Amino acid sequence: MNDRISGALRSPVTFSVLAGVVIGALFLVGTGADPVTAYEAVLTGALGADGIGSTLTTTTSVLGMALALAIPLRARLINLGGDGQMVLGGITAAVTGLYAPLPAPLSVALALLAGMAAGAAYAALAALCENHLGVPLLVSSLLLSYPAVSLASYLARYPLKEPGSSLPQTRTLPDGVELPAFGDSTVTVGLVLVVLAAAAYWFTDRRTAIGYEIRMTGLNARFSAYAGVERRGLTLKLMSVSGALAGLVGAIGVLSFPYRFVDGSLTAPGYTWTGLTAALLAMAAPVGTVVSAFFFAVLQVGGLAMERTTEVPRELTQVLQAIVIVFLAARLRLPGRRLNRRKEAV
Amino acid sequence: MTPPRAEPAVELRGITKRFPGTLANDAVDLTVRHGEIHALMGENGAGKSTLMSVLYGMELPDAGTIRVDGRDVDFASPSDAMAAGLGMVHQSFKLFGSLSVAENVVYAAEPRRFGLVDRAAARRRVRELAAEHGLAVDPDARVGDLPVGLRQRVEILKLLHRGARTLILDEPTAVLTPAEADALFAVLKSLAAEGRTVILVTHKLREVLEGSDRVTVLRDGRVVARLVTSETSADEIAAAMTGRAVELDRVHAPGTPGDVVLEVSGLATDAVRDVDLTVRAGEIVGIAGVAGNGQSELIEALAGLRPVGAGHVALQGEDITHASATERRLKGLAYVPEDRHAVGTAPDASVADNLAMGHHRTSLSSRGLLPPTAVRAHARRLVERFGIKASAPEASASALSGGNLQKLLIGRELAHDAPLLLVEQPTRGVDIGAIQNIHDQLIAYRDAGHAVLLVSAELSEIRGLADRVLVMYEGRITATYDKDAADERTLGLAMAGGSGKQVETVD
Repeated sequence: MNDRISGALRSPVTFSVLAGVVIGALFLVGTGADPVTAYEAVLTGALGADGIGSTLTTTTSVLGMALALAIPLRARLINLGGDGQMVLGGITAAVTGLYAPLPAPLSVALALLAGMAAGAAYAALAALCENHLGVPLLVSSLLLSYPAVSLASYLARYPLKEPGSSLPQTRTLPDGVELPAFGDSTVTVGLVLVVLAAAAYWFTDRRTAIGYEIRMTGLNARFSAYAGVERRGLTLKLMSVSGALAGLVGAIGVLSFPYRFVDGSLTAPGYTWTGLTAALLAMAAPVGTVVSAFFFAVLQVGGLAMERTTEVPRELTQVLQAIVIVFLAARLRLPGRRLNRRKEAV
Repeated sequence: MTPPRAEPAVELRGITKRFPGTLANDAVDLTVRHGEIHALMGENGAGKSTLMSVLYGMELPDAGTIRVDGRDVDFASPSDAMAAGLGMVHQSFKLFGSLSVAENVVYAAEPRRFGLVDRAAARRRVRELAAEHGLAVDPDARVGDLPVGLRQRVEILKLLHRGARTLILDEPTAVLTPAEADALFAVLKSLAAEGRTVILVTHKLREVLEGSDRVTVLRDGRVVARLVTSETSADEIAAAMTGRAVELDRVHAPGTPGDVVLEVSGLATDAVRDVDLTVRAGEIVGIAGVAGNGQSELIEALAGLRPVGAGHVALQGEDITHASATERRLKGLAYVPEDRHAVGTAPDASVADNLAMGHHRTSLSSRGLLPPTAVRAHARRLVERFGIKASAPEASASALSGGNLQKLLIGRELAHDAPLLLVEQPTRGVDIGAIQNIHDQLIAYRDAGHAVLLVSAELSEIRGLADRVLVMYEGRITATYDKDAADERTLGLAMAGGSGKQVETVD
């Protein structure tokens, strides 16, 4: 147990987070603010009674995207097309919710599934580009993202635009076509779905043969190929699951407040990038991804609260995020370098 | 400026170098005289490379002094060492493949004319050096087109061009044919006769006995023996390296071949042309050849990791020419690849995870589930059965020594109990002690009625293990020998493409 504690303290993640907090405090002092007050504002703003609902709503999206990006990352595949897959999921869910001639609860379920299917299909397209055309996944997923976002934007501005509104948004979903919320908060069943997805990811990662193959591919792709793991198939599967999760986040976004697809509302908060950061921070490990996604949700929501109460701009929390990542990247490189030298030396 | 001869060319005193967790060099003294070929020997991890890195300014020692030509030196980088007259040929050559020999030789020390590189002078210089030292090589040839033996000459010319008086060669014969190695030693001897000094880092006993004047043996970071070559023997050096008496170059009794397990006909793929071969149950077939003559490509094609261009492959009578790697494994193939770090294992994964690979879809899992307890129990079984020294199944495989990692890899593949085992370079970079263990395992596997196809660059290994020997040269099987006919001279000649005569075939 002591070993585990000291191991955790020495881990690069802890170090990076602490370094981020310390350097952030120096920034605050430099700008004449009191770091203790500011950090306190972040924490009470995010975790206090007024903020926790907002934090959990943000967690739903950030964790969903973090999982979407962590799952392929576990095999060292990077899906940079989260925005496109999420937005397609959102617009597909909106169309399904608006036009499916079904009872409301079934519409909701169908909208979620349709959103996931749309995201999965679009991510699979990026995988196919790598598998069969030799376009690196990093490039294919990123570039495919832009037309998807533009398509959804076009749909929300023209064919699906709410008549009479000046905003680029669809009509509100019919009554009852929405995810059930907890009490009168904005937290919906979406959070439960995302947490279930995290649990499924953990189970697959630790206890299944495919999870083992994914981990080994991430640690040494040539090793798993040597043993017969078929890379193209794995890429396609992982990207499909990844896209499905991104689509789910989009669908949840549409099926929660404001119950419609608003152009830009899914991408503006930057869930994809925050999620990617969280996944990288946790090195795609299931439990770590959940923890770091929550951490970033706290920073995001707490930053707003801090800005309100202390006049420190919320961009500080973005600075914090960036510092954490820079330190993490630096720390991750260092042991590697030392190891290589050892290998040469022995 | 000729240094006084009485002073040693290189004198290391009390060199200590510590890395996290290991003491790589522990108060090492090494004295190398002018004009001698001095062999530095030891098993992997004995500290040879560290010592040379310290001497060459790539690592700073924690303690100790270095004297070159009688002067105290303090190298901060290899360029300091070069300026003091040292030169090193690394195991993996540091050459520009797309540039000419002359361009490579003068690189970073180019003859200049009006501030530009004087190409004519560079070519002239290479010709002069080549003639002077008997290192014939065409200055205009593109280095990438040259065979390995000539590339090594380019490396040596590079050092001579920069005026190196002491040459350090790290495992120089690892990639050479026996004939090329002989040529190299002739060159080294003539360099020594000119008064230059050669430090030879190697673990090959034979060439040390034939080519060196004195030997320093390291074990566990310490000097354990200083020997005069003419007064020592292979057994004495091997005993010093391992700390116990070892039986060298054992030739195992032949097996009793049964049914054909692997039948290859007319196989062609990248770098492999028209290969026919059969391997029977209870037989080890060895493929000898200098690295880069198509052996790796052949094995990869057989393992299903490289598409087959033409020909047929049958495993136990079933056609597997175009089967995937997974299908081949299910039909009864196991494979120990050449590069255990990059291909055969995931060093960052745990010992247990490394041992599970390939078993994770068969014996260890049911309905897609892979219980961690089954993975750990499997790991404990194999660790015990194959004597793998690992602290725990959860320990990272990167913590294992080279020999133990190889035992892990071979144990994992043997545990499949597959009718056909493909093995590449099973003991490359493995300590003498572990070599015996691995050889015994392979022989036991054969005697249990399995077919083994062995690729090795070590002639002694091929001769010790194989019941039949095939020689591969430029992508073809150029000769086949029975165990008794496969003596070193014959094989060496065939490996160099010299003799294509078929002494006798069993089939």
